[in-house]
Amino acid sequence: MSKVRRGATGNRRGAVLAGLAALTGVLSASASTSPVQVLQRVAVGGTGQVRALAAGPDAKHVYAAVGEEIRSFDDRGRAASNVKLSGVVTGLAAGAGDTLYAVVKAPARLVILGVRPLHVVTSVALHAGAPSGVLFDSIANQLFVASRAGHSVTRLEPRTGKRLGVARMPGMLAQMAANGRGTLYVANSARDSLDVVSADKMALSGEIPLPGCRAPSGLAMDPMGRRLFVGCGNGHALIVDADLGFTFLKLPIQQSDALQLAFAFHPLGPSGWKGGTFIAGGEELDAIRMYAFVHYANGGKLALPGTVSALALSPPAGELWLAIAPAADAGGELLVLRRSDKGGAQ
Amino acid sequence: MGLMTRLRAMGVCAVLATGLVWPAARAALAPWAALKGKTVLLVTGGADSPEPNDDARVARHLRELGFVVRRVDASAPASDAVGASLIVLSSTADAHELGDKYAQAAVPIFTWNTYDYPNLGLTGAVLHRDYEVIDPVQHYADSFAVLYAYGANITSEISRAVGLEPQLFGTLYLEPQTAGWGRPGPGGTVIADFFGSRTHAAVFTYERDATLADGSVAPARRVAFYLGNDDFHLLTAVHGPAAMSAHLRSWAIGRKLFDAALRWAASPPPPVPAYDPAALDAKIRRFAQGRKVLFVERVHGGEGHRSDAAMVAHLRGLGFTVTVADQMDPQSRARGMNLVILSGTCSKWKLANKYDDVRVPLLSLEGLLSDSLHFTGRVRYRDYGEHGELLESDDPPENYLDIVGAWSPMAAGLKPGLVKFTHHPGVLKWAWPLPDATVIATLPGEPREDAIFGYPKGARMAGGFIAPARRALLPLDNPTFDDLTPQGKALFDAVLLWTLGG
Repeated sequence: MSKVRRGATGNRRGAVLAGLAALTGVLSASASTSPVQVLQRVAVGGTGQVRALAAGPDAKHVYAAVGEEIRSFDDRGRAASNVKLSGVVTGLAAGAGDTLYAVVKAPARLVILGVRPLHVVTSVALHAGAPSGVLFDSIANQLFVASRAGHSVTRLEPRTGKRLGVARMPGMLAQMAANGRGTLYVANSARDSLDVVSADKMALSGEIPLPGCRAPSGLAMDPMGRRLFVGCGNGHALIVDADLGFTFLKLPIQQSDALQLAFAFHPLGPSGWKGGTFIAGGEELDAIRMYAFVHYANGGKLALPGTVSALALSPPAGELWLAIAPAADAGGELLVLRRSDKGGAQ
Repeated sequence: MGLMTRLRAMGVCAVLATGLVWPAARAALAPWAALKGKTVLLVTGGADSPEPNDDARVARHLRELGFVVRRVDASAPASDAVGASLIVLSSTADAHELGDKYAQAAVPIFTWNTYDYPNLGLTGAVLHRDYEVIDPVQHYADSFAVLYAYGANITSEISRAVGLEPQLFGTLYLEPQTAGWGRPGPGGTVIADFFGSRTHAAVFTYERDATLADGSVAPARRVAFYLGNDDFHLLTAVHGPAAMSAHLRSWAIGRKLFDAALRWAASPPPPVPAYDPAALDAKIRRFAQGRKVLFVERVHGGEGHRSDAAMVAHLRGLGFTVTVADQMDPQSRARGMNLVILSGTCSKWKLANKYDDVRVPLLSLEGLLSDSLHFTGRVRYRDYGEHGELLESDDPPENYLDIVGAWSPMAAGLKPGLVKFTHHPGVLKWAWPLPDATVIATLPGEPREDAIFGYPKGARMAGGFIAPARRALLPLDNPTFDDLTPQGKALFDAVLLWTLGG
């Protein structure tokens, strides 16, 4: 059972765990340059690492993959329910309606779950390598599973999990993003580029170079503005015009080889930023603020108490969830962040 | 030895050296591999550079292309260019600080320092008329307009390398940006322009030995490019699936254009032939063998008949097989010919629109045909006209030409500047051709009144007409051939030879 922690800047009910005063101080100081602040800290318990997070479409629940379990948390950070699967869960994605997708590393499977209540609906075997991530394109209603080990991306039918096609891709596949119009983008850390996949044919349709970017691992997309946000291992975020494959902006961010990105319009609630991308993977959170489709800027930075292993953004709830990996002297935890005064109305 | 002498000597040596590597008779873009290891002097504002700027990105790009980059700031002495194969002038360098220190450098210059254009002689000196910098602060609306430019020239080496088409393209990525334009002199070549106006050139060049806008002669190649301080990284390009679209490939060409222009600047220029009428005569005689010329005149035309007869005799003497046609004969007379010459004795009114689309080279000796032949626009006395025609021209008779394209074989090796074309002042016709034409000579003091020029095959001519073969204008009014000076005769032969493809 998870415990609920509360940051000093929080105003929610719940117990404040002892021994976190120093850490809280760091978070508070850093929050002054960040659009978000930590409102709540949730201990994961044990040595379990959260490998994936997904915000539920109802804005009331967030799902965390911890070892072989999927745990749900309500909007107060309280553990609500959990389901145990047949292996370590390496990816989560919210689907349409009450559907949640999980991928299990070994034996490689896609698990389709219902969330009211949380339960397994069906499970299908994956044959293109151990899955490393899952993406649901809610606009195009397309489901993709990436396998870093299998150098592949598989497209599956979202309702049944039936395999529709497999794209084989050399290199080191990392985060995926889709444009809602049948194109999938995959960060390829080994090739310092983005692979572009035609979802219809599940075939590589091109490669987008990323000038000045080394080991890109994080990727998010604004399907309306047709912008790709790329997190690079050498401390840069690139913003790419997806239509032209043209990088038009490079911004400094943290250095990490395992970045995760999330973009949303009004990510912190309806009166906050017009659009924003959050970047995590190391011991910092970076934000990129969108002012217009051609105008972006660094939106602040927040120091974190540990290395981020997963990230989920819930615009309807105005919440950002981060999973902090367990360290030698501390267990894993979840951070719930909300808008600070830096992320206020524009 | 003075600095400029050393720079000039260095340029000569560089040309000699590169000539060994690229012995081609005509200029071509050097392969990148051949430019590897060449030194580029990158002149920036140094510590005084406005921020933000892209100088570091440019330096990195130059290195990635294989150049050795030596960065200096604007205050550095011109002697720093010794040993460089190319000087690159960033807009971050203060133009007043730069002054004209590099103007006479016999080293190619690639510049996007628009305010320095007049110092280099690339344009006139009047801001807003001869050159201008558009920026989002001073010219917000126009700073959107400069995100687009037109391909003005489709046959230059730069244009061909890029696949430039006579259409709009994207210059910079999508935000209002800073960009500069200039109005080059007749010796320049407009590659791309803003607003569809060749007087607002986004990219323009001068060949070595071309006459610059200020009347001086380019000691080496010169390239002017539209960039601002911090928009190098926004030069358009297309990648990924979009690159499979021919439309997008021809749209997002900013970076390709930059690279091609840079490569052209660093490539060795063509050898300039010396003025040698005997050698020219020998060459054209070799070329004439087996070639047929249709000479179109007003048969039994009175005033110019003797001159036409002399020209025909000259052509036959060179070895051409010449057929004489009357101006009223049908265009089908051109079938099987290698060249059509339209004599100045032809009546524009009687000739009608014949020969404009003939698929063999055409040399017009009558400037007033320039609109019907698509050499220029349609407005008489604005796009084409004449000097010295009694009652038809306000301008006095003339017998000199100003050579502005001395580098071209059409110039017969004549030096830049005034040349006595005919012994006596008389009628001289002119036209203002489109950017695809190479201008060889203008009327003195009239940079827009171009007397000798040529369009290569495939060139875009007026009204979007594409030249089916070479086209040239050489103004010889009715009786003029007999009055040509030796230099004038050499120009006649050189233009004839070029038109035929020699």
